[in-house]
Amino acid sequence: MKRSFKTSGAFAMTAAAALVLSSCGEAPEEESEGGDAAASEGTDYKACVVSDEGGWDDRSFNQSAYEGLQMAIDELGIDHAEAQSTAESEYAPNVDTMVQQGCDVVFGVGFLLEEGLRLAAESNEDTNFALIDSYFNEEELEGELTNGKPLVFNTGEAAYLAGYVAAAMTETGTVGTWGGVQIPSVTVFMDGYADGVERYNEDNDADVELVGWDKEEQSGTFSGDFSDQTQGGEVTEQLLSQDADIIMPVAGNAGVGAGPVLEDADAKMIWVDSDGYESTDFPDIMLTSVMKEIGQSVYATIEEGVAGEFTSEPYVGTLENDGVGLAPFHDFEDEVPSEVQDAIEQLRQEIIDGETVVESENAPS
Amino acid sequence: MKLELRGVTKRFGSFTANDRISLTVEPGEIHALLGENGAGKSTLMNTIYGLYAPDEGEIRLDDEPVSFNGPGDAVAAGIGMVHQHFMLIPVFTVTESVALGYEPTRAAGIMDMKQAREKVLEISGRFGFDVDPDARIEDLPVGAQQRVEIIKALSRDAKVLILDEPTAVLTPQETDELITIMGQLRDSGTSIVFITHKLREVRAVADRITVIRRGAVVGETTPKSTETELAGLMVGREVNLTTAKEPAVPGDVSFSVQGLTVLSPMDKVVVDNVDLEVRRGEILVIAGVDGNGQSELAQAILGIREPVAGRILLDDQDLAPLSVKQRLAAGLGFVPEDRSTDGVIGAFTVTENYVLDMYDTAPYAGGPGNVALRLPVMRKAAQTQAERFDVRMGSVDAPISTLSGGNQQKVVLAREMSRDLRLFVASQPTRGLDVGSIEFVHRTVIEERDKGTPCVIVSTELDEALNLADRIAVMYRGRIVGIVPVTTSRDVLGLMMAGVPLEEAKQQAATHHTMLSEADEMAEAEENK
Amino acid sequence: MTDSGSQPGTSPAQTSKQEGPWAEAEGRLSRALRDLGQTSWLVTVLSVVVALVVGAVLILGANEQVQGSLSYFFAQPTDFLETSFQVLREAYSSLFRGAVFDWQASSVERAIRPLTETMVYSVPLILAGLGIAIGFRSGMLNIGGQGQIILGATSAGFLGYALSLPVGLHVLLALAGGIIGGAIWGGIAGVLKARTGANEVIVTIMLNNIAIYLLAWLLKQEWFKQTGSNQPLSSSVDDSAQLFSLLGPGFRLHAGFLIAILATVFVWWLLERSTIGFEFRAIGENPEAARTAGINVTKATALVLIVAGGLAGLGGAAHVLGTEYRIAGGIAGSLGFDAITVALLGRSKPLGTFLAGLLLGGLRAGGVLMQAQTGTPIDIVLVLQAVIVLMIAAPPLVRTIFFLPRADGRPRLRKNRRRAQAGGADESASRESTLATASSGSAPTTTQEADK
Repeated sequence: MKRSFKTSGAFAMTAAAALVLSSCGEAPEEESEGGDAAASEGTDYKACVVSDEGGWDDRSFNQSAYEGLQMAIDELGIDHAEAQSTAESEYAPNVDTMVQQGCDVVFGVGFLLEEGLRLAAESNEDTNFALIDSYFNEEELEGELTNGKPLVFNTGEAAYLAGYVAAAMTETGTVGTWGGVQIPSVTVFMDGYADGVERYNEDNDADVELVGWDKEEQSGTFSGDFSDQTQGGEVTEQLLSQDADIIMPVAGNAGVGAGPVLEDADAKMIWVDSDGYESTDFPDIMLTSVMKEIGQSVYATIEEGVAGEFTSEPYVGTLENDGVGLAPFHDFEDEVPSEVQDAIEQLRQEIIDGETVVESENAPS
Repeated sequence: MKLELRGVTKRFGSFTANDRISLTVEPGEIHALLGENGAGKSTLMNTIYGLYAPDEGEIRLDDEPVSFNGPGDAVAAGIGMVHQHFMLIPVFTVTESVALGYEPTRAAGIMDMKQAREKVLEISGRFGFDVDPDARIEDLPVGAQQRVEIIKALSRDAKVLILDEPTAVLTPQETDELITIMGQLRDSGTSIVFITHKLREVRAVADRITVIRRGAVVGETTPKSTETELAGLMVGREVNLTTAKEPAVPGDVSFSVQGLTVLSPMDKVVVDNVDLEVRRGEILVIAGVDGNGQSELAQAILGIREPVAGRILLDDQDLAPLSVKQRLAAGLGFVPEDRSTDGVIGAFTVTENYVLDMYDTAPYAGGPGNVALRLPVMRKAAQTQAERFDVRMGSVDAPISTLSGGNQQKVVLAREMSRDLRLFVASQPTRGLDVGSIEFVHRTVIEERDKGTPCVIVSTELDEALNLADRIAVMYRGRIVGIVPVTTSRDVLGLMMAGVPLEEAKQQAATHHTMLSEADEMAEAEENK
Repeated sequence: MTDSGSQPGTSPAQTSKQEGPWAEAEGRLSRALRDLGQTSWLVTVLSVVVALVVGAVLILGANEQVQGSLSYFFAQPTDFLETSFQVLREAYSSLFRGAVFDWQASSVERAIRPLTETMVYSVPLILAGLGIAIGFRSGMLNIGGQGQIILGATSAGFLGYALSLPVGLHVLLALAGGIIGGAIWGGIAGVLKARTGANEVIVTIMLNNIAIYLLAWLLKQEWFKQTGSNQPLSSSVDDSAQLFSLLGPGFRLHAGFLIAILATVFVWWLLERSTIGFEFRAIGENPEAARTAGINVTKATALVLIVAGGLAGLGGAAHVLGTEYRIAGGIAGSLGFDAITVALLGRSKPLGTFLAGLLLGGLRAGGVLMQAQTGTPIDIVLVLQAVIVLMIAAPPLVRTIFFLPRADGRPRLRKNRRRAQAGGADESASRESTLATASSGSAPTTTQEADK
C-alpha cells in the first residue's frame, strides 16, 4: 500500500510540476474530444483487468497483464477499464464493478482473485472471465464453467532450461536461487531450476550444487516478501557466501536487490517473468531470463473475444506455445558455448515432444 | 542600566494577562515585583525577556525603545534571567553550563573552554560565589546551582537581572546568602527585578516594590510598608496571615512510622530510617526544603512507593500488605503534593474528580460487581460537597481544569474528607494557591484535627509550618533532624532545615541572626511604636 | 502556579518524582495522544475538506485531458477550467455513486447497493477502530490493530471451517474465537507494558510482524488450511459459521454490521458509564493521579489492550465470517492501519468512530467505481486518507489554512510561541495564562475572587 501510494503521489506531483512548466503552448484547433473516441472506433468490445494487491507497477504479472491489455487497446482498438486492488477485501467488489461497467471480458490477476472471479462468472453468464496464474477451483464449482478461462503457465519448463544453463556456466560449481515467499507460483520456478541443474549433472557427469532450494524437502531461502530490496540483497549475499556464482531470484521487486550485490561479486543473475536484460538496470550480469508471457496470453484471449471465439478452454503457457520461454543470452551470447546452446535447444524440443517431463508439485493444477 | 516599561499589555485571546503595566527599574536598584500566583508576573517577565511580544506598549532600555525577537535579543541587550526552575543540564560541569548557548570559540569552531572557565572563576571571585568551575551541576546544592545561573547571566554581561521566584527552592540560610549576593550585584550597578510572592523577603531586600494584581499595577511602595499592608495590596482585601486555632488536645498515638527507609528508583536512600508518632487530634508538620525525602515519605504512607524497611502502623494495624485502594478505604485521607499531576485529572469533570478514589464503591457504583457508574448519585454528591466546601465553578460537569487552583484543591479536600478518616496526610496542600485559598485549606485541616484525626502535613514553607503545626518535624536528606514544638524560632528551624542538629542550631541562632529575622524584628519594633 | 490541569507534568518536582526520562517521554506521548483525540469537530470536518481539495489537485494532475488543456492554458484558459471541472465532477460523483447511491444504476437494487457496500467495508474498520479508540482514550497508542485483526480473523476462520456445529452455535463460537484471538494478541502487549513498562508502540508493531509471519506459516500447514491445493489459501468457512446476510442475495451486507452497532453502544457504555472505563480514562488522562487515587494502573493497562485487541479481533472475525469466508495472507489488508485513521477521525469517541468507519468504508467502496469509471487511480483514496490523518495530527495546520482561532481561545500563535518553546522557559507563564484563560472563560469571576 505504501509503495503504490508513494509512486502515484510522486507521479502526480511530478506531472503537476511538468504541467505548470509547459503551460504556454498553443491552443489546438477545434476537434473531436480526446483519443478515447478514436480508439473505440475499432470495436465496441470492452476488456477489463483487476489487479491483485501488487498493483500495476509490480514489474511482475500485474504489470505484464496490464501491458497485454495496452497492446490490445493499441492494436485492436478495444474499449477498456481497469481496477487496481489495494486490499484483498476489494477483489470481489472490483470484479463486480467491472461486470456493472459492461465489460465483455474481465481478467483477474493472481490466484487470490479466483473466488471473486468464479462467483462472478457463475452469476453473470453473459460476461467472460479469465483468471491469470491459476485454475478455477473445481471442487467449489456447481457444474461446468463455460465463461471462465484460466491462463496458467508452466514456468517450470523454462526454468528447467535456465537451471541447465546455469549449471553449465558456473565456474565455482555452485548455483543458487531464492524466492520472495514460499508459494507455488514461486517455487514452481525453483523446482524446474533444480531439475535443470540435476539434468546437467546427469548428462555431463558433473557435480554442480544448488543452494537456496531443496526440491525434495520443498524448503529453501526466502526473503519474506516481494518488495524489500534490502532483504533481497542480504539473501543474495548469503548464497554468494556459499560459493554460488549464478543466482536466480524469484521475488518480483525484491529480486532487484540482488543486482548490485551480484555486480560487486562479479556473479551472474537469471531474471524471471520478463526479460531482465531489458526490464532491470543490470543487463551486464544478466545471463538469461525465465519468461512468462502473460501479456501475450492476455492479448490472445482478448483477440479471441473480439473475434467471438472465447472458450473456457484453459490456456497453459508452455515452451511449445511460447507461453513460457528462455530469454536470449544477449551479452553472454558469445560466452555460452555452442554445445550448451545446442543442448538447450535439444532439451526444449524434448520437453515439447514430451520426452522429458518437468514435474513439480507446484506446477499449475 | 535603566529598564522602563510603558503601558505594556499582553493578551491571550480574551484574557488580558498584563494590562498597561508601567514600571521603572533604576540602575543599581532591586525592584521587587510582588503578586499572587496568577497575577501576571511571569508573563510580564517573559515579555521583557523576549519570549512574548507585547500587544501594546513599549520596553525601554536607557530611554531607548527596544523590541526583542526572542531571548537572544534580550540577552544581547543586557537582560539576564534566572528562572524559577533552573535551565541547567545535570551532567554538565559548571563551566560547560555557563558556556552553553554562548560557546566562546577559537578558530575552526573549537570551543574555548579555557576562556569560559576563566570567566567563571573571574565572576565567581568578584562576588565571592565560591563555585568550583569543574563541579558537575547534579553534585551541587540548589543554592549553588542558582549561583551558576547567575554567573551564566553575568557572563553575558547582563545589566538587568530578572530573578523569578528565586527563593522558592532555598533554605532560609541559602536565601540569606542570595540576599547578600543581590546586594553586591546592586552595588556593582546591576539592576535587579525580583519576582516573588513572599512578603518577608520583599521587605528585607527590595529598594522599591511594585504590586500587581490581576495583570495590572495596583500600587508602588517601599519596604517600609508592613506585611499586612502588602498582603492587602496583593490580595485586594484585608487578610489574616495567621489562622486562629485552639490549642491541640492530643489523644493517644494512633499513627506511627517506625524505621521507615525508602529508596529512589536509582537505589539512593531518600527516606532514611524515619520514626514518627502522631496522636489523635494533632497536626504534625514535616518541614524541610523541597527534595529532602518528604514527598517520598508521604508516598510510602499512601502506598505508591514501597519501603525497603520499617513499618507503618495505623491503630496498630500494619499498612504494608494493603494496596493504595485498601489504605484509602481503611480511612486514609491523602492530598498529594502536585495537584495537577497527582491530585486531579484535568480533563475529568468536577464530579469525576470528586469520586476519583471512590468511583467503584457504593453508592457511586452499582450493578453486578459494582461495574456500572451511577452518574446521578455521583453528580448529586459532588454538588452537595462542592457547596459545603464553597467551590466556585460553572457546573459540576465542567472539566476541573477550568477551575482555579484553589478551587481544584477544595475539590480534592472535599473528596478526601467525605470519608470517615482515621488519618489525614497532605503534601504541600497550599502550594501555588492564593491567600484566600490558603486560609481555607488551613481552616479545613484544623477542623479535621479538631475532629480527632491525626494529621501529617508536609510543607516547605516555614510560614505554613508555624501557622498550622502542633509539632514540627524537620527533615533533611531523608532523616528527621529533630522534632520540635511550634514555638521554635525561625532561625533555629532554618538551620535545622540545612541539617544542623537542634542543640547546635540553637547555639548558632543565638549568635547569628539572618537578615530576614532582623528585618522582622525591625518591622515589629516599628509596628510597636 | 501548578494548578492548571491542562499542562500537567512540567514542574521539576514532578519530573524528579517520575522515574527517569522514559516516564517523562511516556507522559509526553500520552499528552500528545490526548491532544490528538480531542481535536474539535470543526477541525475534523475541515480536514476532510482539505483532503478532498488535495485529492482534486492530484486527480487533475494525473489526468491526461487536463494535462493536455493545461499545455495551452494561457492561450485558452477556459478549456482548462472546463476540462478540470468535468474531470472532478466525474471523479467525485462516481465516488459518491460508488459509496452511497447510484442514480445511474440499472435497477433499484443496484442503486442502493453502494450504500450497503459502504457498510460492508465499514464493519471491520468500525470494530478495530473502536479498539484503537479505547487505546487512545486510555493513553495508549495501539499500533497493533493489524496483528490483532489477523489473529481474530485466523481464529474465527479456522473455527468456522474446522468444526461442524449447529447453525447458531457455530457462528457464535467462531466470533468468540475471534475475540479471544485478538484479545490474546493485544494482551501480550498489554501485559508487557504493564509489567515491564515496555513501550506499547514498539511491542504492538513487532506483534504485527509476528502475526503476519505466523499466518504465512499457518497457510502452509495442511492441518490448518484444510484444502487440497498448495496455494496459501484456507478452505471456506462453513455455511453454519457465516454471518447471515441482512438483505439477501445480491447484497453482501451481513450481520457483522449489527455487531458493529452493538459494539459501538457497548464501547460507549464501557467508557462513559462503567467503572472499568472510568479507570481506562483515568489512566489515559493522568496515570499519576489514577495511581494516587488507588487505581491499579498495571491491571487497567493490561486490560485496555486486552479489550482493544478483542474488538480488533472481532473486526477480523466479522470480516472473515461475513465477507471473505477464506483466510489468505493479506486477509487484514491495511485494515489495522486504516482503523487508526478511523479512531483519529472519530476523535476516539464511539459514535465518532462509527461515523468515521462509515466514511472510510465509503471512500473504499466509492474508490472502486471511481477507478473503474474514470480511470482515477485508486491511490487517490489512500492520499485522501493520508491527508486527513496529517491534518488531524496537526490541527494548527488546519487552523492556519482556514484562519481559525486557537482551540483554547488564544489567538493563533505567532512566532513568539516558537520562541517560547525554543527558550523552554515559559512554563509557568503559559500555565499561568492557560489557567487564567480557562477560569475566565467558564466562570464570570476571575481566579482570585472565585477563591474567597
